[in-house]
Amino acid sequence: MHDNRGMRWLMRLFVVLCIAVLPQFAHAQSASAAGGSAQEQAERQATQPGNNAPVWRDVRGGDNASQTTQVRGIETNVLVQSGGETWRRLRNGPITIYGGWLIIIVPLLILGFYLLKGQIKLHGQPSGRKIMRFSAWDRIVHWTTAISFVILAVSGLVLLFGKYVLLPVFGYTLFSWLAVLSKTLHNFVGPLFVVCTVLMLLTFVKDNLPKAYDWLWVRKAGGLFSGEHVPSGRFNAGEKTWFWGGVTLLGIIVSASGLIMLFPNFEQGRLLMQQANATHAIAAVLFMAMSLGHIYLGTIGMEGAYDTMRYDGMVDEQWAKEHHEYWYNEVAARSGRAPGAAPSTAAASAMKEGWKL
Amino acid sequence: MARMKFLCDAERCIECNGCVTACKQEHEIPWGVNRRRVVTLNDGVPGEKSISVACMHCSDAPCMAVCPVDCFYKTSEGVVLHDKDLCIGCGYCFYACPFGAPQFPQDGAFGLRGKMDKCTFCAGGPEPDFSPAEFRKYGRNRLAEGKLPACAEMCSTKALLGGDGDVIADIYRNRVFKRGKGSEVWGWGTAYGKPEKQPAPGAKS
Repeated sequence: MHDNRGMRWLMRLFVVLCIAVLPQFAHAQSASAAGGSAQEQAERQATQPGNNAPVWRDVRGGDNASQTTQVRGIETNVLVQSGGETWRRLRNGPITIYGGWLIIIVPLLILGFYLLKGQIKLHGQPSGRKIMRFSAWDRIVHWTTAISFVILAVSGLVLLFGKYVLLPVFGYTLFSWLAVLSKTLHNFVGPLFVVCTVLMLLTFVKDNLPKAYDWLWVRKAGGLFSGEHVPSGRFNAGEKTWFWGGVTLLGIIVSASGLIMLFPNFEQGRLLMQQANATHAIAAVLFMAMSLGHIYLGTIGMEGAYDTMRYDGMVDEQWAKEHHEYWYNEVAARSGRAPGAAPSTAAASAMKEGWKL
Repeated sequence: MARMKFLCDAERCIECNGCVTACKQEHEIPWGVNRRRVVTLNDGVPGEKSISVACMHCSDAPCMAVCPVDCFYKTSEGVVLHDKDLCIGCGYCFYACPFGAPQFPQDGAFGLRGKMDKCTFCAGGPEPDFSPAEFRKYGRNRLAEGKLPACAEMCSTKALLGGDGDVIADIYRNRVFKRGKGSEVWGWGTAYGKPEKQPAPGAKS
């Protein structure tokens, strides 16, 4: 199984790169200089026969070249690996407790916002003229990512919280089946999501580059509370935050940490996998919390947002003007007419037909 | 009731791997799975020590705590066992265990590890005692036969002791008094240093 040397080397490089990203545990194993304690023990034997302290100090470190075993495998010469206890405390403690509350509280906040402010309506009259917002490619990339994200989120929640929430209801046998299904889905949809994340980045990076006018949007919180129209480009600062903080940063973190755990056959040790798991869980919970805001605004939160991505990628000019004024002006200028002027119906319908899925 | 524990006397272990062989033979364990292994510290240096290690059946077992399907259980004798029918092969027990006890029959690409396998203290599994299903999944149930773990019984120098924790601690204490050295009981702080997690009511003994 370890025949492919080039592949192994690449994976090691990848693992090393990931270590640079992953936060180190508070009490990472103290690295004892290889062979140092062996020499120390030999010296101790001369002065104090029967004092084995240097040997016992070695027990927790596995990187001692003179610590051996006949059993082949990764870290089989390690007697005690203490990172597991740290990982257990983290996972069963703050990650489960705070992560769980976050997953409960964020939807409640969104529900509160919805009940208080309601859907963001279109203020003007729809013009009836449509312009292209998302191409077929944009929509395919978006929905492949979105569907794989939802599958990963639900199956991940089952594995982290199911023991406390579903197991008491379903019983051991049924919950075990559900967990097997979740784990298998998670492991095979995961690589698809990694590919999707890369495609997402390439597809949407251009219009997500920060612009000076984004500051205004941030200062006014996008008019979410005041209800005023804050002009923005094709994507506003909120969407850009989701793109850079969510899709890009969290997407890369969950992808890298996930791959470390998905392929444990590249000689990575337990410490790295523990770190990967903790990082994966923290990033994924934040990712889910952020995605709820995106899903809300993309569906019931804003009139006209869902249909655009769901069906033909077209939006009404009035919608574009109200929500993404700079982008609308750009599109209008590109199509060679003054902002607000009616496009020729032939061109509009041709564009619409051409991009229909 | 007795609280079962393992104790390896590093002053006596000669790294013969008899315990490893006894375990493989007793339970007909497949290739690549090692419920028990012997680790030598400072190999080839004066004062080298060897220790045989397997699942220590911890009082507050980390594997039990992190299992997402709660497939572990503790017998009334303190032996930590698991139900392979429930195990989903996620590998979390392997991340959590300080001793490297959990083993998997597959290499794990795409997270496909197969069902976890580990030392049972020769106490079988949740299936009826001596049933073919129990033997196939977990190996022989020597405790139900009134015997102690095969590895400890087979140990040529009686370095590896397995049985009632109080009894083996007494044996070890006498040895330390007589020889005047080697009082370090390896792994006990890690395995038994925390308050005992009580077995579930009605747990199989």
